[in-house]
Amino acid sequence: MKKTIPKPRNGYLKKQLFLPLILLCLMGIIAIFSLGSFTQNEEIQNPDTILEPDQLENAGIDYPEDGIEPDQEEVETDPVESEFIRGEYTSQQIRRGERLFKGLVPFTSGQHDCASCHYTQPQKEINWNPAAYEMAVLWSRNPDYSIMEIMNNPVSMRLMEDHAGMTITLEEQHLLEAYFSKLTEQGPGELKAYPIRAFIFWGLGVLMFLALVDLIITRKIKFKGVHVFILFVGIAVHGQFAVVEAQNLGRTKGYAPDQPIKFSHLIHSGENDIDCRYCHYIADYSLSAGIPSNNVCLNCHNVIREGTLSGRFEINKIHNALETGEAIEWIKVHNLPDHSFFSHAQHVNAGKVDCAECHGQVETMHILQQVEDLSMGWCLTCHREQNVDFFDNPYFEIYERLHEKIRNGEIDAVTAADLGGEDCMSCHY
Amino acid sequence: MEKKYWQSIEETRADYKPPAEEKESSMIEILANEANEKSSSRRDFLKWCGISFFSATVISACENPVKKAIPYLHQPETLVPGKAHWYASSFVDGNRFCSVLVKSRDGRPIKIEGNDLCKFTGGGTNAITQASVLSLYDDGARYKYPMKNGEKTSWERADQEIKDTLREAEENGKKCYLVTPTLLSQSTVELINNLQVKYPSLELITWDALDYNSIRKAHQQSFATAAIPDYRFDKADLIVSFSADFLGTWLSPVSFAHRYAQTRRVSEEKPHMSRHIHFEAGMSVTGSNADERIAVKPSTELDIIMELYNEMAAITGNQVISSPSAGYDTKALAEEILANKGKTLVVCGHDNLQAQILINAINHMAEAYGNTLDNRKTLNMGHGDKEAFAQMIKEMETGNTELVMFYKTNPVYNHPEAEHFKAALANVPLSISFATAKDETANMCTYILPDNHYLESWGEFMPVWGTHTFMQPAMHPIFNTRQFQSSLLAWAEMNTDYHTYIKQYAERVLFPKQNEYTDYQQFWVNSLQAGVLEIDEIMAINPVLQRQAISDAVVQLKRQTAQAAEVQFSVTENVKVSDGAYANNPWLQELPDPITKISWDNFAAVSPRFAQENNLYDGDIIRINGMDIPMIIQPGQAYNTISVALGYGRENAGKAGENVGVNAFRLINDKPFSWNVENWEKTGKKYEFARSQTHHSMEGRHIVRESILEKYQTNPKAGNEIRDYHLKHMVTLYPEKEYKGHHWALMVDLNACNGCSTCVIACQAENNTPVVGKQEVKNRRIMHWMRIDRYYTGDIDNPGVVHQPLMCQHCDHAPCENVCPVAATNHSHEGINQMAYNRCVGTKYCINNCPYKVRRFNWFRYAMNERFNFNMNSELGRMVLNPDVTVRERGVVEKCSFCIQRIQDGKLKAKNERRKLKDGEISPACAQACPSNALVFGDLNDPHSRVAKLIKDPRNYHLLEELHILPTVGYLTKIRNKKG
Repeated sequence: MKKTIPKPRNGYLKKQLFLPLILLCLMGIIAIFSLGSFTQNEEIQNPDTILEPDQLENAGIDYPEDGIEPDQEEVETDPVESEFIRGEYTSQQIRRGERLFKGLVPFTSGQHDCASCHYTQPQKEINWNPAAYEMAVLWSRNPDYSIMEIMNNPVSMRLMEDHAGMTITLEEQHLLEAYFSKLTEQGPGELKAYPIRAFIFWGLGVLMFLALVDLIITRKIKFKGVHVFILFVGIAVHGQFAVVEAQNLGRTKGYAPDQPIKFSHLIHSGENDIDCRYCHYIADYSLSAGIPSNNVCLNCHNVIREGTLSGRFEINKIHNALETGEAIEWIKVHNLPDHSFFSHAQHVNAGKVDCAECHGQVETMHILQQVEDLSMGWCLTCHREQNVDFFDNPYFEIYERLHEKIRNGEIDAVTAADLGGEDCMSCHY
Repeated sequence: MEKKYWQSIEETRADYKPPAEEKESSMIEILANEANEKSSSRRDFLKWCGISFFSATVISACENPVKKAIPYLHQPETLVPGKAHWYASSFVDGNRFCSVLVKSRDGRPIKIEGNDLCKFTGGGTNAITQASVLSLYDDGARYKYPMKNGEKTSWERADQEIKDTLREAEENGKKCYLVTPTLLSQSTVELINNLQVKYPSLELITWDALDYNSIRKAHQQSFATAAIPDYRFDKADLIVSFSADFLGTWLSPVSFAHRYAQTRRVSEEKPHMSRHIHFEAGMSVTGSNADERIAVKPSTELDIIMELYNEMAAITGNQVISSPSAGYDTKALAEEILANKGKTLVVCGHDNLQAQILINAINHMAEAYGNTLDNRKTLNMGHGDKEAFAQMIKEMETGNTELVMFYKTNPVYNHPEAEHFKAALANVPLSISFATAKDETANMCTYILPDNHYLESWGEFMPVWGTHTFMQPAMHPIFNTRQFQSSLLAWAEMNTDYHTYIKQYAERVLFPKQNEYTDYQQFWVNSLQAGVLEIDEIMAINPVLQRQAISDAVVQLKRQTAQAAEVQFSVTENVKVSDGAYANNPWLQELPDPITKISWDNFAAVSPRFAQENNLYDGDIIRINGMDIPMIIQPGQAYNTISVALGYGRENAGKAGENVGVNAFRLINDKPFSWNVENWEKTGKKYEFARSQTHHSMEGRHIVRESILEKYQTNPKAGNEIRDYHLKHMVTLYPEKEYKGHHWALMVDLNACNGCSTCVIACQAENNTPVVGKQEVKNRRIMHWMRIDRYYTGDIDNPGVVHQPLMCQHCDHAPCENVCPVAATNHSHEGINQMAYNRCVGTKYCINNCPYKVRRFNWFRYAMNERFNFNMNSELGRMVLNPDVTVRERGVVEKCSFCIQRIQDGKLKAKNERRKLKDGEISPACAQACPSNALVFGDLNDPHSRVAKLIKDPRNYHLLEELHILPTVGYLTKIRNKKG
């Protein structure tokens, strides 16, 4: 490796190039990182929507410092009501609605920033107020939807309190509607995680490549320790990544997706102390624990129409679904691969396993999160450690040999693994 | 002396040379060659490693797919997602009947099982019934909406035009016809009568492509009652059958197989069994089970019937009418029958009125009526009327017909004179087909008003007098279809649906006839839930023989057989496609024929002697009466006969059924003796069949053990003597396995198994086994988890046949387990040899090391793959998949799991109900489906279980037990009731 390629090199060039090269590549990595965090902020712009030419033209509307825009606005003079035709809003109307909503221009009754409560883009933290998009969808489906009326609807205490002192004019309502029309077209938007780890991986990869090239071919850096260090660290980090990523492949520990209804297990199961199996009642005798159907929700929500945190907006979704006949599409949190057959009936009913052992302290979660990794190792640990209800259930009488062992004092309890809980075909068939 | 079992026909010829063994190259050689060819293979490997390492990391950074869970808005109280629901129903198609339970998961039917509350069928099924669920999801072939001349139309518009036509026909004095097969449903018959009252011009024509009407007519002539008695094979000590394939296809094979098995089973408590003598030309499932099988030409068979009648008449002092000699010792047979008076049953499968009249006389002399023939609760089958149909064709030709409707009939395909019929049909201004799925007749009709699949329909049926069964939908109609009866109700302007109609019918007609329930609602719900209702209702045959019919019958039969040619053919119904109605069912198409083990084809079977004389070989295409059919050599085929299966050669059936085989209905003619081969020739062309079993020699090992009854009665170990030797020499290096809880085992009674192949389809339906297609079957890559091996023994011209169901033997010392490099297959705590697909890397070492060859390798991805364009390649077709069983990916090995999902389910049920498991509660799909109960599943550790008793039976043996791999599947020696 040392002197197998005795190609003479120009010393001047060497000195001139190798250090800047390393620097450049380090800079590159940093640049990638900073670019990454930059784009992370930029992600707010919905990347999925294909912008129409007129939208492109006004893509800069978010920035009030944009110099040209206000001039154009001046040109537009007081719109009369007949100018607003549902579904056919001009780009100016949409833009003005958006500014009103985002609090960039004041309402007649004062400065209200709708977007501070009704977020326009998905957020990491739970926000109990209805999102702008959700309101827009309601508006688009209901021709009688009036923002003015709903804002100060005396039926809902929450609404009244939160919107106290806010009044809007008819024109402003139309402008907001114009913005709603844009939102319904855009869709809810997506919250994208920024894969920092991938950049570390690739950055180190490039660095390792350069180190290798220099070590074998270019030989610019005399001190071999640098190469060795880079390669050593690179391989170690890559190895760690590979192991961790491979282990987590298909695993979603910590997964807590946004649900179509901001349903809080904390309020239902925690504060109100409703038993898990009141709603997930089929867990006792089916494979699945079952997502409760709307009529189960209605057992209580027929009467309870307003929540403490979310007001009426979220609860109304249950009623709306029943009226429109459109089912609520919940996001499945706990996913097992298709080749694993898990039966809730087996664990909850026969095995008497507490729900919390797998699902964690659900009563402390607003948004449901997966707390265990649901890996096979995790399953097997429990199968090996948990004792089975062996003595009381007559089913187990067939296990005479084990009963005998217990009588003889050879063992004092029977685990699932003793009964074949480690067999492949207990779960995979 | 050791019996010689042989397999291929070539083996038995004098000039047979065993095929040269292919030189197997060793792994080292292959590797060495490869290394020479590609010097850089290791480097390539490393490259690929690198690429996959990188891509794995990149992929892992991607997000997991979002899965949705969508609950009901209003969850029906009884419906639990993830839990199977069972509905009692009936599979009915013309004469074919089976009382069933439909397993429905999350609103879709996925499996059909036998209804053991039905005494008539005894809880069994057959292959066609098992596979019927697949046709429900046949989106390629099913009609999806009402059509007029191929264009979508609405029900209202169609109804209006049809009602107008019916009314106008009445005014103009023209004819209208409704063609149906035999209707087992009395409510439907009543409904049609109502419609006829409204439209008197409408005439009902009952026509069966495979007709049993001659039996009914013969009883009319013999006993002045048009009825078909119920055949009680369970009460018979001597069964004589003339071409009646009652275990496979004839009349009600499920019932008959169930009854037959009862008399065939022997045990130390009941060391006697029935004796079965069978006459036929081609080898049928039933013939293969006979103790004495006499291979004769169809004409000789008729001669034997005449002679047998005469011999019996001579002994009993009845009128003897001279008949030609058949060259068979009928006297001995006559004596044997008369020695078993009251315990003999003679059946005849020929659709020949004269032969049936003589059979009636023979049965009468044998005192079968009231004993082995139930003359009170008679069968409600075989109402087909060929004469009326022929009359209808004439009317259609004259242009006097305004409207013709076809319900579950496809005469354009399976009428012998289809061209003639087609011309007549073209002459009718308005024609309607109620076909559920594509068929040739519907293709020619003006209107296609698709009927629901039976799993979407309501119904009431009476297969046999006194037994009423119900059909209830297990699912809402998938397409815009309407049940046939609802169409009739709409035209009768009765303003009700068929569901209400049969409820009213049950209240009006059935409720008063029973005395179990006093409340109608309770009666209806309970009967529907049970699926079957037994009431005391008879249609009796008074066994007083009208003798004048007999002499006439003999005279006519003599005239017929006198015209018989030297070479004769016979067309047969097979257990797969029947009259062609199930041709588009890929499960059935791929099912190997029980005898020849050919899938995806029909063929002309000829006898070995005939083949040798004419220098014919398997796969030669021959031309019979102008029809090209590839032939095979069938041991046991009568000399100078050619047998062809019906139901193939469909032209408009769907992707699986079209252009498979040839249409043998075209061979049938209406000559006085219709089975003459007027001319046949070799075409010189060759054809390759897809056969699932080609090498069948047992290579001198005791795979099937058999003996005869006499020997068994003196020594219950007869035929199984070698077992003692093996037991004595058992040595092992392995520690004995201990099963602390359950130890599952399966026992196969070779005496009860008749080879009908129902279990194979049941297994396929339960375990999501893919259909691989003809080419892959040829490549020996059929995926069935269980197969039925068929061996011939003895004389090639009249061999004995044994059927041996073979599934994974779940050996305690399984050879496959030791060789798996990744421990993907290992042994469970309950004695099951388990297979973890997600761990399998596909080395196939296990397949290589399995002495039974029951493991299957997924050479391809069979689901969602254009190359395997069968049910798994369509969204709707995949609905039939069992959600409790993984659909295996390419590259993994799979095999029988003893239906582990059913075991797990059964155990869980017992655990949750806090009780012990009951014997028989858990049953794998094969055992559940078997009409003969030849397969018994249970727990060996439960001393009271049936398997624990059967495994101690002296007849029990295990396959290749000399290997000491301790299979848990046991077989009971086959005993034949043979003389000498």
